[in-house]
Amino acid sequence: MIGSLSVQEKKVLRNLEEKADVAKLAQKSGMDQSAVMRAALSLNERGLITINELKSSIAVLTPEGAVYAREGTPERKMLVALASSGGETVDDVAKRASLPDDQVQIALAWVRRKGWVEFAKRDEKNILAITEKGAAALSKKSSEEELLERLEAGGQDLEWMPQEILPELENLERRGLIEIEDKTTREIELTALGREATAAGVELVEEISDLTSDMIKSWMWRGAKLRRYDVLAPGAPIYPGKSHPQQQVIDELREILLQMGFTEISSRIVESEFWNFDALFQAQDHPAREIHDSLSVSNPEQTKLPPPDIFNKVARAHEKGTAGSTGWGYNFSKQISQRPVLCSQTTAATVRYLASKPKPPVKVFCISRVYRHEKIDYKHLAEFYQCEGIVMDKGLTLRNMHGYLKQIVGKLGLEKIRFRPGYFPYTEPSTEADVYFPDKGEWLEILGAGMFRPELLKPLGINYPVLAWGIGFSRLAMLKLGINDIRELYKNDLDWLQEKRMI
Amino acid sequence: MPSITAKYGDMCKLLEKEISAEQMRDQLNMLGVETEISGDEMKMDIAHNRPDLLSPEGVVRALKGFLGIKTGPSIYKVAPSNVVIEVDKSTGPIRPFIAAAVVNEVNLTDDIVASLMQVQEKLHASLCRNRKIGSIGVYDFDNVAPPLKYTTVAPEEVKFVPLDSDFELTPKQILEEHSKGIEYDHLLRGLPRYPLLLDSNGGVLSMPPIINSEATRVTPGTKNLFIDVTGTDERATARALNVLVTSLAERGFKIFSVDVKYPNRKITTPNLKPVKTKLSAKNVNDYLGLKLGPAAIARVAKRMRYGVEDVNEKSGALTLLAPIYRTDIMHEVDLIEDIAIGYGYDRLEPELPPVLTIGEPLEIEKTCKRARLALTGLGFMETMGHTLTNPRREFELMRLDGNAVEISNPASEEFTIVRRSLLPSLLSALYENRRHPTPQKLFEIGDVSVLDAEAETGAKNIRKVSAVLIGKDANFTQIKAVAEAVLREINLNCELKVAESPSFLDGRVVELISGDKKIGVAGEINPEVLLGFGLENPVAAFEIDL
Repeated sequence: MIGSLSVQEKKVLRNLEEKADVAKLAQKSGMDQSAVMRAALSLNERGLITINELKSSIAVLTPEGAVYAREGTPERKMLVALASSGGETVDDVAKRASLPDDQVQIALAWVRRKGWVEFAKRDEKNILAITEKGAAALSKKSSEEELLERLEAGGQDLEWMPQEILPELENLERRGLIEIEDKTTREIELTALGREATAAGVELVEEISDLTSDMIKSWMWRGAKLRRYDVLAPGAPIYPGKSHPQQQVIDELREILLQMGFTEISSRIVESEFWNFDALFQAQDHPAREIHDSLSVSNPEQTKLPPPDIFNKVARAHEKGTAGSTGWGYNFSKQISQRPVLCSQTTAATVRYLASKPKPPVKVFCISRVYRHEKIDYKHLAEFYQCEGIVMDKGLTLRNMHGYLKQIVGKLGLEKIRFRPGYFPYTEPSTEADVYFPDKGEWLEILGAGMFRPELLKPLGINYPVLAWGIGFSRLAMLKLGINDIRELYKNDLDWLQEKRMI
Repeated sequence: MPSITAKYGDMCKLLEKEISAEQMRDQLNMLGVETEISGDEMKMDIAHNRPDLLSPEGVVRALKGFLGIKTGPSIYKVAPSNVVIEVDKSTGPIRPFIAAAVVNEVNLTDDIVASLMQVQEKLHASLCRNRKIGSIGVYDFDNVAPPLKYTTVAPEEVKFVPLDSDFELTPKQILEEHSKGIEYDHLLRGLPRYPLLLDSNGGVLSMPPIINSEATRVTPGTKNLFIDVTGTDERATARALNVLVTSLAERGFKIFSVDVKYPNRKITTPNLKPVKTKLSAKNVNDYLGLKLGPAAIARVAKRMRYGVEDVNEKSGALTLLAPIYRTDIMHEVDLIEDIAIGYGYDRLEPELPPVLTIGEPLEIEKTCKRARLALTGLGFMETMGHTLTNPRREFELMRLDGNAVEISNPASEEFTIVRRSLLPSLLSALYENRRHPTPQKLFEIGDVSVLDAEAETGAKNIRKVSAVLIGKDANFTQIKAVAEAVLREINLNCELKVAESPSFLDGRVVELISGDKKIGVAGEINPEVLLGFGLENPVAAFEIDL
């Protein structure tokens, strides 16, 4: 029987004289405790030993208790500081005792409870004065303090503590300076079978666990006994470095749009109201432009105006209309145009691009962060990604818009899409698209689209129809990543990042 | 987007046809009104540009056409009421315009009162820009003695009992003490005189745009209504009145006009005549990708409650009559969208156009991709932080001074500026992971914004990469090697220069110089900074402009 044991198991048996606890055995055999336990469990299965569990309660210091044990309790510090001055205000004595703010009240409470000090009036001020009890305490440490110091050396088993010390122990526990921990020690004991099997002695044949370069080069490995591993035992997992899950969604979309022939453009964090709103034909007093919706900027104070030609045409479109439109009929303000704002829609970037490239065809997209005046909760973020694209060419129609939406959705691996009327301030006609998610068994609204209004196009010198679409990026990302709280899109918890599979 | 509530039962009654809740929801969705129905309760989201749909009456009016129950326009008859409002010239600089109407033989059920209050509130928020350019008053006409006077008074010149008050108050007291006065005080603050609408006995109807008088309160027993809209924008006052009275007319109530006498002109309100608009069949088909004939388009227009005055089969030109409540019609495209809705969005089959383009990624994104591959290959995990931050995190904790893009109306104290560096985001991420075993290796690639007087918007984006190492072996040598590996993979040649930075430990920090521009920094983080971020292990970090 002994012959079939592993070297570790043999070591345990050799070092075991009748019985011993695991820690001692580990020390004696030079193995670590977990190795001893593993060997013991297997020996137990073979009926050679039994494992006895012994429960005990150990008093140990809490982090706060450890600090007091090392530096003295706050009340002791206060008492000592007070002793060298005779009498002072709380603030003064706290300062001289170098008590951190959070300890002043603790010190005060305990010096009073222990009757070490009393309050007196001097010059209209409340001052502290040492009592007789306090004076006595100065020269003698309390039994609580002694106990703290003793525990600093290491936890103590309650079973061995003298009876008279128990009240102090309770006091310290109530004060949160010590904790009673339940501890289990394991003891290994030979069974009758074990005694019989080891009677003849246990011989150790060296097994080899690590294969080395020398062994390979010298042919030595052929004669060596390589230990057999438990190859089915689970090991600790390891994780590769990965892109952030939200970044993975961005990269997937980028890939799809590049495949569809869209060119990528970027946006600015700080944008002018002109490009963020005016150029999109959003009236300067439109409710969506109100302070409650976007984030205004006080530094920088002002942005530069666009070229006068564009500026004047946009202003005129707002005031009097353009391209057969009635316009909004109000007085356009140059000052409002120049105000900086944190970009609230990626359309600012696509329209800027259109203004610089009026010749067809144009097919661009932008995946960028936009900013809104929102308090963060499980449904709202103050900054989030938008993914938007535009197509400009001769003869484009609303049906073509639906065609693009269907293709994007198809590339995302979703088949069913349905269209209904939508509303966006700068597109007409506008479409809202619902997409069927088979995993959820639900139609969800994740796409909005439309054709830019002529009042937007004409002042920028665009003479062809422009299709524009946006993906509800956060919603799509949440669906892809299986999260319900939008804040988790910015979660950086390593456990989550490691566990989350790549999409 | 504003939303309104309604009763399913009331909607069916208005529709004069019983349809299932599911059918009503689906049809409204296809009309562009996102609808939820649970039991008798309905909630509908109304687009910003359609104030005429802010009442159940308005929604049903549209739905009747869509379902073919009643197509073509609603005809609104307006008879004169002989009520006159004289407008005092003192209103000129303060709130110069008023439009009004009388509605007789009303039969106010609870649903109608609720709808009336709701449409008034929603119009105030949207078309009336929070009462700034228009504000609506609805009164019990039987407690009003015409003719009326729209004038202004000094803040303490008169006293009256405002709605929901037991006492007489002066306009000044109303602004200071009454809940509506406090809410809308900003619209009158600083003005020498306040608007007031009076009847021939000197009784106060209202103090626009704040509050009506208790004496003219509308109750369930009210038989006749007087409605006014005052404001600073004449078009807005007319539009709000038109939307309101036409929705009441849908209940079968009778509308009467009011004469408004300004110092130098006289008008009669409301004017509910439809507006003539042109529509070309070619444009409809070009926009939508359809092949509809003019007659077919005319039929669809009627479903959308337009009147059709003329159809020229040959030229394809249509003359439509747009209902007066359709305040959103600015351009032919607005009509074309209506034709699309009437035709049915579900019938607009997807069709990809032959637009040939070659897609190109941004150069910077290619660089980022290489940096990302290098760092993940070295076992670093990517994090993502907010670009919005606050001066404490950006400057104080990093032991730095400086300026950043500042938000003037922050929604929270946490987010008041835009970050200039990724490092604080990463140190916060390390704090988030303080219970996770060390060593840890994190990186972020993202945008920051820096002030730049030369830039068009006064600030510019910079794309950066930053990485941190935490643990007992996190040191300068390690992080420098990582930084150099990334620089190598993105083909950026850099020279190292001894540097000083309050965020890093002296003697353990270098600047990275490319050309003669500083593009980054690498080193061991100063323990003061670590403690500020709640970290208790050594951290080495770098940050590079890409």
